[in-house]
Parts: sequence; structure tokens; C-alpha cells
Amino acid sequence: MIDMDGEKPIYIQIAEWLETEIIDGTLQADDKVYSQYQLAELFNINPATAGKGLTILLDAELIYKKRGLGTFVSADARNKLLTKRKDGTLRRLVQELLNEAALLGLQDEQLIELIQAERKERS
Amino acid sequence: MPVITLENVTKRYRSTTILDQLNLEIRENTITGLIGRNGVGKTTLMKMIAGFIKESDGELRVFGERPFNSLSVSANMIFVDDMMGFPDAMTLEDLLLEFNRFYENWDGELAKRLLKYFRLPLTLNHRVLSKGKRSTFNAIVGIAARCPLTMFDEPITGMDAGARSDFYRALLKDYLAHPRTILLSSHHMEEMEDLLEDILLIEGKGIAFHSSITELQEKFIKFQGKENVLKQYANQYAVIHRTSTGPLTEWIVDNEHTKAELTELKQAGIRVSAVSASEAYLAMTGQTRGGVDDVFDTMEYE
Repeated sequence: MIDMDGEKPIYIQIAEWLETEIIDGTLQADDKVYSQYQLAELFNINPATAGKGLTILLDAELIYKKRGLGTFVSADARNKLLTKRKDGTLRRLVQELLNEAALLGLQDEQLIELIQAERKERS
Repeated sequence: MPVITLENVTKRYRSTTILDQLNLEIRENTITGLIGRNGVGKTTLMKMIAGFIKESDGELRVFGERPFNSLSVSANMIFVDDMMGFPDAMTLEDLLLEFNRFYENWDGELAKRLLKYFRLPLTLNHRVLSKGKRSTFNAIVGIAARCPLTMFDEPITGMDAGARSDFYRALLKDYLAHPRTILLSSHHMEEMEDLLEDILLIEGKGIAFHSSITELQEKFIKFQGKENVLKQYANQYAVIHRTSTGPLTEWIVDNEHTKAELTELKQAGIRVSAVSASEAYLAMTGQTRGGVDDVFDTMEYE
């Protein structure tokens, strides 16, 4: 899979949407996952495209198939995804943050101050 | 078994070759977008498949039969375009009754409900409908006929934006409930691309691309940035298409790169993103806006 920021192919967006559903607990371990036809209807897309999104999760063993019953969330899916997002998405955001900081000529200390200030505002 | 097969099929009108030695298979229950610039022979191809016109050479099979003059192909196929003509004396309601007699899977209830939704009174005459309403009626017929092979040639001509997205949604919903083989041609690819599984691109009398829509998208990638920055990478990538709007230059390049290259590009301030299938198509056929810009750019240099 390519690493991209801009618009992503729809099947990747579908995969990421499902991942977020698992991370935020909407879909729990052993819950039934939407079928490719339900996803097609939900997102107004071709079922083959939706199927490709599901395949990404199947290949990563985040979901599993039960013959004739459908697809279900794997027990360790959420943990796997948390690690993946920390190593992947978060790291990418940090890279972008550093690019922007370099453009503006900011030092690391100033970035940390910014993060701490933002934290304070939220608490 | 594929629903449509073409082996070295050629279509000539007198001495002009429109389509030259096409080889093609369309799988059952797929939605294929038939695309290409004006006059490349999209309609000719569909009409041959429908059996309305004869192939000049080669072997064309639809449901295993030669479609020309085939009653069984006619009964299992519907071809919807804006030239569909009906007897003047018949109202829309009369027409629905006739479709019910001809098409085995015809769903009259669905047709009536869709007509009501799109505000097409049954008592009207087909002839008095506006361009957009006529396209809408024809499209409804195409959906409700539920033919194993359903072809739409520019179905959205004249429809307003609301009607277009409603039509695509209705087609998708009915396809999900009743899968069938669908061929769809349109100039507005960006509006239909989400609906498609496969793309069939006709160019230069032949097939330029026939595969899944995701494959078309993943052939290319888009770079956006300042021209002088991008220029440094000119030798590194196969640039398929370039456009400049204002200060930003956009390149569509072959999707071949390493992760390290991507990181470097991003650090240089270049935005890297995926292309939509319609952008990929426009780039492949040289239809992006840059084409016209080039006309003016040359003038400045002269």
C-alpha cells in the first residue's frame, strides 16, 4: 500500500473507516462486520470496491471469516490497530509537523512548548 | 462464462475503420464504465453488442450467440440511449404495459414508484417530455427491465445534478438486489466512477485499457508543488501529464517510487496524493486543462 496524504482510493478509505470503527469500539471483538453489499449501499460504491477494502482487513488478520455466516472482528484487532496507528499515522503526522517546523524555522523546544500549551487548554 | 466476448472484431463504415480488431471479455454481473473521447466508437461498440448493427469482421458473442438478428439477445438485453423512440399515441402508462409484456424480469411496481419519485405523470406522452425528463424515463426503463445485460449510452444527458445522482443511486441499489451485467458510458466519469468495477477505455480504434477501476487509479500518482522545485525531479519520474494553475504546478506521474523518495519529495514541500479514476483517464487521453493553457504559453514565447 502506498503512503499518501491527499485523497485516497475509496477502498483504502473504506478499510480505514472500518479500522476506526474497531478502534473507537463501535465494532468489538467477535462482532459481525458489514458485508461488502452493506458497505456498497452505505457508501454508494461498487460492491467489488467495498470487497477490496474488506480484503485489506482480512489480509492483516484484523477480521476473520466464518463460513456462511460472514466476517467478524478478530480478538486482538484493536491492539494491532493501536500499534499500527502509533507507528504509522502518528509518525507520519510527526513528520509533517517537523516539515512545517523546518519551514517556519522552529526549534524542537518551541514545538514541545506548543504541545504543552495545547494540552493545558484542553484540560 | 463471460457475457460478452469479442475476438478480432472490426467495424467499418464503407472504407472508414471505426473499431479495429477488438478482443474483449465482459464478466457476468460486473458494472463496466465505457469511456473514451467523442467519436471513438463507444456507441458503435454498444450497438454491435446490442445486435442493432452488424460487425464487419471477427467473432462477437453475447450470451454465446451472435447478437445481430438474435431474438434471445434482444429479450435478455436492453440498450438505453436518448434516441429511444416510441409511438406518439402511447402514454407512459401504455409503454409500461408493453415493457411488461416484452421483458421477463420487468418490475412494474418499481418503475411506477420511480416515475412518481421523479415526478413523471403516467398520463403524459413520451414525445412531450423535456430532454432531462425523457432521459430520466428511459433510465427508469433501463433499471426496471432488469435485463441480464443492461447498457446505458450517455444516460444522464439533460438530467439535472439531483436527478443524476438519484439515478446512479437507484441503479446501484437495484444492482445490489438484482445483480446483472451493466455497461455504462458517460462523459461525466467523475460522477459515475464510484459505481464502477471495471473500466473499458477506447482510444485509437482499439482498447487502451480494460481492468478494474482501482488498477487505473493506481497506475498514477499526483505531485503538486512549485514548478522550480518539481523541475529538479523531472528526470526521475515518467511525467504523463502536467498542468499549472496559478502558482501551483501539478504532475501526474507513473506510480513507481520508493518510500524514501516519497519522504524526500514531501520534505521538499511537494504534496503527493492519489489520483481519482477520472483524473487518470483524463491524463491518459490528454484531456486535462493544461492542454489549452499550452496554446497560450506558446504564444508568449513566440
